[in-house]
Amino acid sequence: MPHISLAAEIVTRIAGFPISNALITTWLVMGILIFASYMVTRRMSLVPSGAQSVAEMLVGGLYDFFASVTGKYVSQVFPLVASLFLFILIANWVGLLPGVGTIGFFHEVHGETVFTPLFRGATADLNTTLALALFAMGAIQYYGFKTAGVHYGKRFFNVGNPIYFFVGLLELISELSKVISFAFRLFGNIFAGEVLLAVIAFLMPFVVPLPFITMELFVGFIQALVFSMLTAVFLSVAVAHGEHEKHLAEGHA
Amino acid sequence: MEKLGIEPSLLLAQIVNFAIIVVVLTKLLYTPILAMIAKRKKEIEEGLALSVRQREEEEKFGIRKEKLLADARKEARVILEDGKKQAKEAEHEILAAAHKEASEILEKAKAEAIATHEALSADIRAEAVGLASAMAKRLVASVLSPGDQHKLIAKHLTELEKNKTL
Repeated sequence: MPHISLAAEIVTRIAGFPISNALITTWLVMGILIFASYMVTRRMSLVPSGAQSVAEMLVGGLYDFFASVTGKYVSQVFPLVASLFLFILIANWVGLLPGVGTIGFFHEVHGETVFTPLFRGATADLNTTLALALFAMGAIQYYGFKTAGVHYGKRFFNVGNPIYFFVGLLELISELSKVISFAFRLFGNIFAGEVLLAVIAFLMPFVVPLPFITMELFVGFIQALVFSMLTAVFLSVAVAHGEHEKHLAEGHA
Repeated sequence: MEKLGIEPSLLLAQIVNFAIIVVVLTKLLYTPILAMIAKRKKEIEEGLALSVRQREEEEKFGIRKEKLLADARKEARVILEDGKKQAKEAEHEILAAAHKEASEILEKAKAEAIATHEALSADIRAEAVGLASAMAKRLVASVLSPGDQHKLIAKHLTELEKNKTL
């Protein structure tokens, strides 16, 4: 049976700090993104070459797409949502590369020989997806406060009316549930895909896994899009809500 | 939490990793590419505006060119008409001068011919008189005596005197 573990395996420890196989893959993904960005933009020209054209099409397309969701705030939020999309997409696809989950080493744990893969899909680790969700939700709250100031806080803490107070509590719970929803949706989809591929590859190693890999490529793209688009939508809602509260407060004053 | 693999240090590490990705990609990818797209868009807009301006100027230039050509054609026609008129006047003047000169030459030639004719006539007459006189001298000498010669000379002189008075 293939090795399946819900938690990312600790490969080593540096000064007591655990280095998991998902963390190594995250560094690999970061390296790919940074190297590709550098290569694409080091010699830019007004008449774009092949790689520059692709990069411009991708970044320009993402900018227009997120502009349709966030409107006038796109220039502020674009770096966050575009980075979420690109990072999740590459992390999902790197997780499908041959060697990820299969290259590793055997070692003894409590008298048992255990296989520890050197690489694991970065988004198949809850630490990564939870980190992305916390970062996204933190950014949403930051933009909300940045746009409307203290008025944004009335979304969660409104003592003027018992109903509003209760609604505020619900909003707070909703924000916390968004973190869990973000983290587990991405983790669940990618981890399930990897398990599926591992099982299929174990049962029928040749040809049969190909359609599943294609499907996982598509799932990886969709999950990246869903995560980044939902972040953009929540950002717009937070900013719009904050602005509404601000206008109401200014109207009363 | 432990069964799910959530480890606070790894969670923090992933947050830091993602923050680094956001900062680096903003600096390395989004800013230069969006700036390049904006620059290209601006260049295209400027190029289009320039082409519209040039087309308008071309139209204006075309109208001005047509006007200038019309003016030039009009001016050329006027100059041509003037030239023709002046040429005709000059022709008339030259013809008049030629006629005058020709008539003067003719008059002069006539006068010269008359003068030559008169001189020749006078010469011929003098020659004839001399010849007649010589012939008469010889004839008179052979036919008349000196006394008769004197009588005849006197008679002729008298006749000449008479002819002069007439």
